[in-house]
Amino acid sequence: MEFSYEVKDSYAEVKADGRLNMVSAPKLREFVTDVIAGASNRIVVNLENTAFMDSSGLGALIGCLKAARQAGGDLRIAAVQPQVKMVLQLTSMDKVLTAYGSAEEAFSDD
Amino acid sequence: MTKVLASRSFRGPASEDAIESVHNHLDSLWLDVPFVQDMDQMTFTTAVIESASNIVQHAEPAGQDPVDLGVDISVQPTLLQARVSAYHAKPPFGPMEPATPDEDAESGRGLALIQALVTTVTFERQDGTNTWVLTRTSQG
Repeated sequence: MEFSYEVKDSYAEVKADGRLNMVSAPKLREFVTDVIAGASNRIVVNLENTAFMDSSGLGALIGCLKAARQAGGDLRIAAVQPQVKMVLQLTSMDKVLTAYGSAEEAFSDD
Repeated sequence: MTKVLASRSFRGPASEDAIESVHNHLDSLWLDVPFVQDMDQMTFTTAVIESASNIVQHAEPAGQDPVDLGVDISVQPTLLQARVSAYHAKPPFGPMEPATPDEDAESGRGLALIQALVTTVTFERQDGTNTWVLTRTSQG
């Protein structure tokens, strides 16, 4: 899995391309923690190229959400693909991690 | 004799590399059986990776030999089956019933997710090997 980020006007967009599994989950957590500390506490994780996520990956996203909120910000997810959407729904975490159509939309309401 | 249309097998040390290998096996398996619907491929892949990850994260060696992960997947006309095994492992510790973690918990959703994804999950222990057998009745 490859991570990158880009600072936008009011948030930082993190891309996580590949499989978000037990191997990459701790790395996402570390990467996002660094972005929160160094760039923005408002994070959009763009999952457009995240073809797969398991419960470890989901746990990492929840950890990142908590880290962003503890820093006074928030974390939102965008461009969710079908497998990731399925995992979010089956675990009822779609209510906690609201998915937006695109990274641009994620913080457009505030 | 049940007709097996395609299959893949993996065995190796229960490590992070094994998870990527098993996932690559699954991706290549689906190329052999394009008639298996996307939803079945997606759910079954997720269940197999969850089970294999559970072994890599939690299985403890019973003796001096390290734990090996084994995954045998077969596709039959209307059935997907995976045998996900931990070789040289102690019996699983603790409850094997799925938990209902708090919404801000960062772990503990794997077993419930597996049960939601497949039709049956059974557990076998024989000769120091723990095996989870996952089946999913496919749409055909």
